[in-house]
Amino acid sequence: MAVRAQFENSNEIGVFAKLTNAYCLVCIGGSENFYSVFEAELSDVIPVVHTTIAGCRIIGRMTVGNRNGLLVPATTNDQELQHIRNSLPDSVRIQRVEERLSALGNVITCNDYVALVHPDLDRETEEILADVLKVEVFRQTVSDNVLVGSYAALSNQGGLVHPKTTIEDQDELSSLLQVPLVAGTVNRGSDVVGAGMVVNDWIAFAGMDTTSTELSVIESVFKLGDAPQGAVTTAMRDSLIDSMT
Amino acid sequence: MAASYNFKKITVVPSATDFVDIVLSKTQRKTPTVIHKQYAIARIRQFYMRKVRYTQQNYHDKLSQILDDFPKLEDIHPFYADLMNVLYDKDHYKLALGQINMARHLIDNVAKDYVRLLKYGDSLYRCKTLKRAALGRMCTVMKRQKQSLEYLEQVRQHLSRLPTIDPNTRTLLICGFPNVGKSSFINTITRADVEVQPYAFTTKSLYVGHTDYRYLRWQVIDTPGILDHSLEERNTIEMQAITALAHLRAAVLYVMDISEQCGHNLHQQVELFNNIKPLFANKPLMIVTNKIDVIRREELSEENEALLADLEKEGIPIVPMSTLSGEGVMEVKNKACDQLLAYRVENKMRSKKVNSVLNRLHLSVPQQRDEKVRPPCIPEAVLQRKAAMDTDKPKKKTERDLELELEEDYVFDMKKRYDLKNAEDKYDPIPELWEGKNVADYIDADIMKKLEDLEKEEEMREAAGEYDSDMSDEDEETREIRSMAAKIRKKKKLIKMESDVRRKVQKPTLPRVARKDYNASEFKSQMEELGVDMADKDNAHFKRARSKTPTGLKRKREASTEAGSRARSRSVPAGKVPRDQSGIRDPQTQQKVKVIAKNAQKKMNQFGKAGESDRFIGTKMPKHLFAGKRKQGKTQRR
Ligand SMILES: Nc1nc2c(ncn2[C@@H]2O[C@H](COP(=O)(O)OP(=O)(O)OP(=O)(O)O)[C@@H](O)[C@H]2O)c(=O)[nH]1
Ligand SMILES: [Mg+2]
Repeated sequence: MAVRAQFENSNEIGVFAKLTNAYCLVCIGGSENFYSVFEAELSDVIPVVHTTIAGCRIIGRMTVGNRNGLLVPATTNDQELQHIRNSLPDSVRIQRVEERLSALGNVITCNDYVALVHPDLDRETEEILADVLKVEVFRQTVSDNVLVGSYAALSNQGGLVHPKTTIEDQDELSSLLQVPLVAGTVNRGSDVVGAGMVVNDWIAFAGMDTTSTELSVIESVFKLGDAPQGAVTTAMRDSLIDSMT
Repeated sequence: MAASYNFKKITVVPSATDFVDIVLSKTQRKTPTVIHKQYAIARIRQFYMRKVRYTQQNYHDKLSQILDDFPKLEDIHPFYADLMNVLYDKDHYKLALGQINMARHLIDNVAKDYVRLLKYGDSLYRCKTLKRAALGRMCTVMKRQKQSLEYLEQVRQHLSRLPTIDPNTRTLLICGFPNVGKSSFINTITRADVEVQPYAFTTKSLYVGHTDYRYLRWQVIDTPGILDHSLEERNTIEMQAITALAHLRAAVLYVMDISEQCGHNLHQQVELFNNIKPLFANKPLMIVTNKIDVIRREELSEENEALLADLEKEGIPIVPMSTLSGEGVMEVKNKACDQLLAYRVENKMRSKKVNSVLNRLHLSVPQQRDEKVRPPCIPEAVLQRKAAMDTDKPKKKTERDLELELEEDYVFDMKKRYDLKNAEDKYDPIPELWEGKNVADYIDADIMKKLEDLEKEEEMREAAGEYDSDMSDEDEETREIRSMAAKIRKKKKLIKMESDVRRKVQKPTLPRVARKDYNASEFKSQMEELGVDMADKDNAHFKRARSKTPTGLKRKREASTEAGSRARSRSVPAGKVPRDQSGIRDPQTQQKVKVIAKNAQKKMNQFGKAGESDRFIGTKMPKHLFAGKRKQGKTQRR
């Protein structure tokens, strides 16, 4: 299933929320509109937690996590850390990392098994990443963008990458990540797919501007609906060509 | 793309008289209105020139606005250009706009001429007449545009009601004889809600509806019915359909009525189809046989069936449907859409553009790199919920619902959902840490008690009178003065109250210094009452030798004294201090002040600078008194 949402008139919901298979972090907004979109869909399965990171609302860009753990930047204060710790189940490890590239969500993208990271990421951070999130780590770029977290969205079943990623790059990334990949957009043609949507193994949330074509691509590649994963090459191909050119 | 064909934003074109009223009243409101004939002539000219120019500018702006707003037939998509030609007549349209342009030009010229004339206006009256003439002529020019303006307003109103058709998007175009069921079809597949009636020419213009298919949005256009005759004989209504057919790259659905209820037999309908065939060239085409609820194709007579079979032989698909029963409608729509999509994709694949998106049509499948399995991790609850999807359980109450319910009282409770072993620990305060240390550890346990002790000590000190010793350093004399002053103040108050009671005064009164009838005996008795010894004060000057110069009551205007009658300078009224002594405490200070003032002036004097009190003549020979031709008056005084 894929759902559209909007945070205070911004479609970049990947900036204001972090979704994994074990928990969901949502930033604190003026009203509970945004939170309740997640709450309605998720709260009887996984905890949906309100939080800030270092007093900022851009938690999706500051943190990185999966089913096994959560990494937060060094700027996170103790209250916030304690609050998150209290809210998440004990199976999720939480770790603060001293990293120069402190927007962890922008420089790292991961699922429960592998992670792509910015080529300049600290060695120590890489070790913590492998240790806490229990993932294999690869230093890579997505269509020559070092901000892999911004330009890719990943789950255990599939991935969406920057629309300009060449077929060769896609194949290479796909073999690294061991999930099928498609190049695409969200929010009516936005290429920052990582910031425009959040996804886990059974649900995706995308910005309000996302077109129905984009949403159906997301549903098919992340195996969220009934469409087969290869729909972009078969059933949806013509629609895609016609809507993109 | 679609936005550029939105004609709804053209501003209203006022009628000629309204136009004149609007512009003239604006001139009246927005330019100065007061002028006098004694003003300098340059100013008068300026005043009227401004009016003329302002009026001209307004006309110019308004007319330019019209010219800009109305679409130029050369610039818009040929479909719209042709449609506008059909609806409003290209020549008429261009002529009207041309005349508006001409009027603008004329008005500009009138203004230019009259401004030039106004430069030579030599009196207020003449300038005013010129202005009247200028505005009058501009308005006459405008009045002559009455018909053009009316026409353009009608065009504007009609244009704004035209459907917003995007000529480049995916479009299904429905055409055919009148009354065959075209509008019924668009009504079933979109929400256009076109009128359906059992007579010909129910639909008299183009209608647009939108439908979704294959994640895409499709534009469906309903056209008026067309009859089978030559192009020259076609009327405006039919021509709209022809225009759409000619210019839109759409999938054409030619609707036929095989029941022949529409009043045209199948032969005529096929004839029309063949006649307008050139319009279908290079477009996906489909024949739809409607009203199969009345008669099925199998039940058709031999010759009719032969007609259809002939068409089929040419490779044109024939699809049956009935909008009444709904049978076949979706098949028709889907087939037409698929046909058009395939056609468009084929075209696009031939262009270069598609290369840039080919990577997005690719699903890269991973190559197995190790034996590890990486299964998705979906909680049991999700799978269960998916299975039980259709059983509609009551919707759970979200925070948003709560927020709406409680309005201002709503406070989000962050700790509500804490996942802790002991639920009662939830609301324990989270310790505040600073530099790795718990702030609470450094708080003195009995800080409150210490504070209390301090406060108590302070209280005691106050009670002991430690703080009220500020009078101690005053000497005997001042203390006496103080007590005396207090006595005097009290007495004053008493007197005032007494007299208020006596005189039944309620409003505030003048202070005593303003009182006139205050005599020595009264003063004496009062002083004695206060304890001052008044025994041998007989020689004291309680009684003044000469009367005080009357200063008048407070706020009373001084009577003007007769000029020149004053023999000696007026004595300074008692109580008024000379300016150089006012605010100075004693003679020593005054001496000091004098020295300071003198020193301050020293530099000024040294350099021979002009001070503020020096006589100053700005211009020795004011130009206006000495230059130019002289008529009346003397050189010094004019
Ligand atoms: N029996 C039957 N009648 C139909 C069917 N479709 C339309 N009609 C009738 O045909 C008549 C004309 O339908 P319209 O949809 O107005 O036809 P049209 O082609 O739009 O006509 P114009 O706008 O005048 O060109 C109406 O009375 C409809 O009820 C059908 O499938 N079966
Ligand atoms: Mg009709």
